[in-house]
Parts: sequence; C-alpha cells; structure tokens
Amino acid sequence: MSRPILIRTIALLIAALASVGGAWLYYRYIAADAPVWLDSARAVLFLLTSFWLVWGGTTGVIGALSRAPKGVAGPVTAPSGLTAILVPIYNEDPAATFSRIAAMNRSLIAEGIAERFHFAILSDSTSLEVAAQEAVWFERLVREPMSEGRVFYRRRERNIGKKAGNVEDFISRSGAAYAYALILDADSLMDGATIGRMALRMDADEQLGLLQTVPEVIRAETIFGRLMAFSSAYLSPYFARGQALMQRQEGPYWGHNAIVRVSAFAASCGLPVLSGKPPYGGHILSHDYVEAALLARAGWKVELDPTLGGSFEEGPENLIEYAKRDRRWCQGNLQHRRLIAAPGLKFWSRFTFVQGIMAYMASPLWLLLLVTSLIAASIPDQRWWVQHDDAMWVLAAAVAVALLLPKVTILVRGALDGRNGQFGGTLRVALGVLGEIALSTLLAPIMLCLQSKAVLEILLGLDGGWPATRRDETRVEFGVAFAASWWIVVTGAVTLAVAIALAPGLVPWLLPVTVPAIAAPLLMGLTSLSPKVRWLFGTAAERRPTEVMLLQQRIHENWTMQGPDLPEAGLRADGHVLA
Amino acid sequence: MKHQGLEFISGLPDAPLAMPKQVLERRRTSMFGALRAMIAAFPRFSA
Repeated sequence: MSRPILIRTIALLIAALASVGGAWLYYRYIAADAPVWLDSARAVLFLLTSFWLVWGGTTGVIGALSRAPKGVAGPVTAPSGLTAILVPIYNEDPAATFSRIAAMNRSLIAEGIAERFHFAILSDSTSLEVAAQEAVWFERLVREPMSEGRVFYRRRERNIGKKAGNVEDFISRSGAAYAYALILDADSLMDGATIGRMALRMDADEQLGLLQTVPEVIRAETIFGRLMAFSSAYLSPYFARGQALMQRQEGPYWGHNAIVRVSAFAASCGLPVLSGKPPYGGHILSHDYVEAALLARAGWKVELDPTLGGSFEEGPENLIEYAKRDRRWCQGNLQHRRLIAAPGLKFWSRFTFVQGIMAYMASPLWLLLLVTSLIAASIPDQRWWVQHDDAMWVLAAAVAVALLLPKVTILVRGALDGRNGQFGGTLRVALGVLGEIALSTLLAPIMLCLQSKAVLEILLGLDGGWPATRRDETRVEFGVAFAASWWIVVTGAVTLAVAIALAPGLVPWLLPVTVPAIAAPLLMGLTSLSPKVRWLFGTAAERRPTEVMLLQQRIHENWTMQGPDLPEAGLRADGHVLA
Repeated sequence: MKHQGLEFISGLPDAPLAMPKQVLERRRTSMFGALRAMIAAFPRFSA
C-alpha cells in the first residue's frame, strides 16, 4: 500500500470510527426515554455532520504532526520552457491589478529570468467604462521595463464560459507558443523567485501537469479580513500539508496561483457544457476541481506544494462579500454532483467532489438536526437531557475536541519548531488562535444560515450566476447589514422563542447559536471595521512584507498619484493596435 | 477596430492549440434513440 493511500485510509477510519461512535452514544442518550423515529433521524444527521467535522480536523492534525517537507532554496535559474502568466480579469480596478503585474515583472527581472515569462491580461470586462480604463492603464503598464513583446492585453466582447472559457480562448489562440501557463486571479501576487521555481519544477518533471501553491491572504484591513488572513497564513498551511500527504498526485487546483503544462491542459481540460439548465446544467462554475480531476484522469500528476511561499492573494473584507463568493462556490460545488460518476475519474477525484459538496450540505444538515431536536423536545416524554445532563457535556466536549485539536496541535508545533516567532511569538499567536476560535464561533451561526439558504436556493433550481467580487468593499453600514441578514435575526429569535416555550432546559445549549444569529447585523457591521490595534491576527507577511509586496505598494501609490498618461491614438510604433 | 469578436488585441502570439471538449456525462440511451439507431442501420432503397 502506498504512503498516500495508507494516510487516507487511516484518516477515513478515524473519521468513520469517531462519527459512528459519537452517533451511537448520541442515540443511546436521546433514545433513553421511549425511542421515537425522530431519534433515528437525529442520530443519522449527527453521523453525517460529525463525519465531515472530524475529517477536517484529522487533516489538520496529520499536517501538524507530519515532518516538515524540505522547501527549495537557493538562486533561481532561467527555465527552459516559456511560461505565459495569465491574468483573467472581470470588471476589476485596473490600476490595482496592473500594478501587481508590474511588481511581478520587476521581481522576475531582479531574478534575471524575465525573458522566459510573458504576461497576458485576459479581460472579460463587461463595463465599457472599466474597459476604457483598462486600455488607459495598459498603456501605463507597457512602459515598465522589458515589457515590449512580453506583456499583452486581450478583451473579449462576450465572456462565454466565464473564467474557464477565458483561459480556453487564450489557449486556443496562443497556447502552442507556451510550455506552461501560470494562472492568476486579478488580486494574485507572486514573488519572481517562486514563479521561477514553479517553472523549473515543470521542467524537471515531465509528468507534472499542474502545481498548486497555497496562497496567503494579504493586505486585509478589517477585523473580518484580518481573521481570514490570519487563518490562511497560520493555520491553512498545515491543513494543506495534511491534504497534500493524502492527495499526493491527485491534488487540488484552486483556479489561481498555480502553474499548468499547456499541452496537457489543452488535451485534457476542455470543459463541455453540461446538459440541462443552471444551476446543475450549463457551464461548469467551479471549473478548477474538474480540471484537476481531468488532468489526473489523463495520467498527469497534480500536486499541491505548501512549501512554496511567495504566493499571495487578497480576500473579502466583510461577511457580505464573503457570502457572495461563497454562494458562487456553493453552486459550483453542488453542480459537481453531476460529475461524481463521470467516466474514468480516479477515486480520490470523486471523493474530492463529494467532500466539496458536503462542505456546503453540512450546514443545512446541522440546521435540520437543530430543528428535529426542538421538535423532539416538544414531545412530553422526550426530556432526556434532564436525566442525562452529563451526556450533553460529553457530546459538547467531543465536538470541541474535533474543532480545537488541530489548532492546538498547530500552536504547539509552532512553539517547538520556532514558526510562532514569525508571527510575533507564541503568546501573541496563542491570543490570535483564541481570537480566531472566538470570532469563528460567533460568526458560525450566521454562516450556517447563509450557506443553508444558498443550498436551498440551488436545490430549488435558482441560479446565482457569477456576481463580480467587489474587492475594495470594506465597511458595511448597519442598514446594509440589516437588509442582508434580517431573516437570520428572525430565525434566531423564533428558535429561541420555541425553545423557551417547549424545552427551557435546552435554552442554555442553544444560546451560542441563537444569540449570534439575533445579533447578525451588529456582527456583520462590527467585523467590517478596521481595527486601530493591529497586533492581534498579525501575520508573518504583515510583519515583514516581501520585496514584491513592497514593490506593488510603491508602484500603485505612484501610479494613482501621477495618474496614467493618455495614450496616443492609432497605431503605435511597436505594432500594438488600439480599438 | 474589431477582430474576430475581440475589441482590443495587443500582439498575442498567433499559435492556436486545440482544446477538445472532454466527456463528463454518461450517455443515456432512450428507447426512441435506440429505435432510431436500429432503423438507420437498415439499408435504404431509392425509387
């Protein structure tokens, strides 16, 4: 048995045993007084939800306990394959996006490898005003050093197939000119050395079809944004390490900050339009997971490397923007149910689809567990918690262990190997982890409601589409927060009222869920504020920004101060054509 | 200036590479479809 299969088996067994054992204990307690059919239903719900909870925690613990993989260090040489760095954009801020490209370009020049990398900005912008600005700022960008013949811009009039279609359009027109393509998002930023190393890895391994980095969220300003950034910088690498150990050569692709072998991608990843209408039919929304599965199906290696630092992105700064993005991902993941049985896929690819679906289905299942528990509590002889109060504590402790064990393990590991020093020391990091746990616990009921609503909408056949991400949206006014979450307030209040009326003994256990739900508008607004005190949730990148981060900041500041020069009309001497 | 549905192009290499659509759905054969296929297999006679 190979090592990844052994680790997967152990992890699956732990999750299965823990969830079956937990469900059995749960059933024993709730069915102690005259079991009813509701008890069986609740036990099944407990089994389904706790399996994925334990599975996630196990991945983190495996990653935290694993030996640190050796990263690649030393100078970077020019790779033999030519790489196209693709930047698909859709109604973004062009000055910000193009300043990132300029910074990456200068970083590649500093490494002495720039001539092996071209940049292709692939615009699907539908706003004519934004498209006009893109043209203006592109003229500013091509004045950067060594940009002639290396920096290109293309805008599609119709964004057929959205981002996947955008990349496919590039490959079908220009793909044969490149060995590799580094696919980015508009908010991606990568160190030149990291980009170089990724291309060298592709040179060195002819079977490597895709190499994915673990992007770190940077430039977060609000409490919510900083929470996400801290989690991605401090905790995610270990979860990713656990994932990588299990997935090995059938790894994930997250759609950005990853390099692909163009010939492999072109031959294997042409996505069809699924039969039927959205949300389950039509263009594949979450195309990245499918492309990874197709590459693995064709025999290519798909690897995740958490040791490759220097890979950054920006994240949503408030819960509303997060929820919009999450809605899109939810629809994309649920659409994958059509593909679980697709011909020829590897087992782990199919499991990854199921995992992605359950990441969202778990929320309505937890909600259903809550509702059935309240219904059961209305039955006169079903007051099992009165005689078995200790059972509630045992179950609560078990859930807490599943949630907290990976984070505590990571904290202890960081103290032992010195990683906590990069984040300001163990005490500061411990406070950060505690803060992350506290804030996540407060926000969890709101996320539960939002995800359950998203799943319900999709199950009812409502297509959420692909709303543009508003990356510069930070502060959420109370009125906006209330408009977005009044139904969560009502849900929390009704739940609490029913519990008080039917099962007063359960009320203390429901407060951690109902109180945050009732306070949803306040929490949404408060977490969208920018804190004056920034030592909490501080990350290594914030304490010591990398060269490319400082470059991008300087370039963006200069550009926005000076403004772009207006381009001359007509044909340029270097052959660029203006519309 | 428009070119093949692209409003603004800037010197991207002209190097097409085919990207064939992959099969992701299993074909479900209906009774009607099977009957059509059978009829199509019979030789045709022109007047």
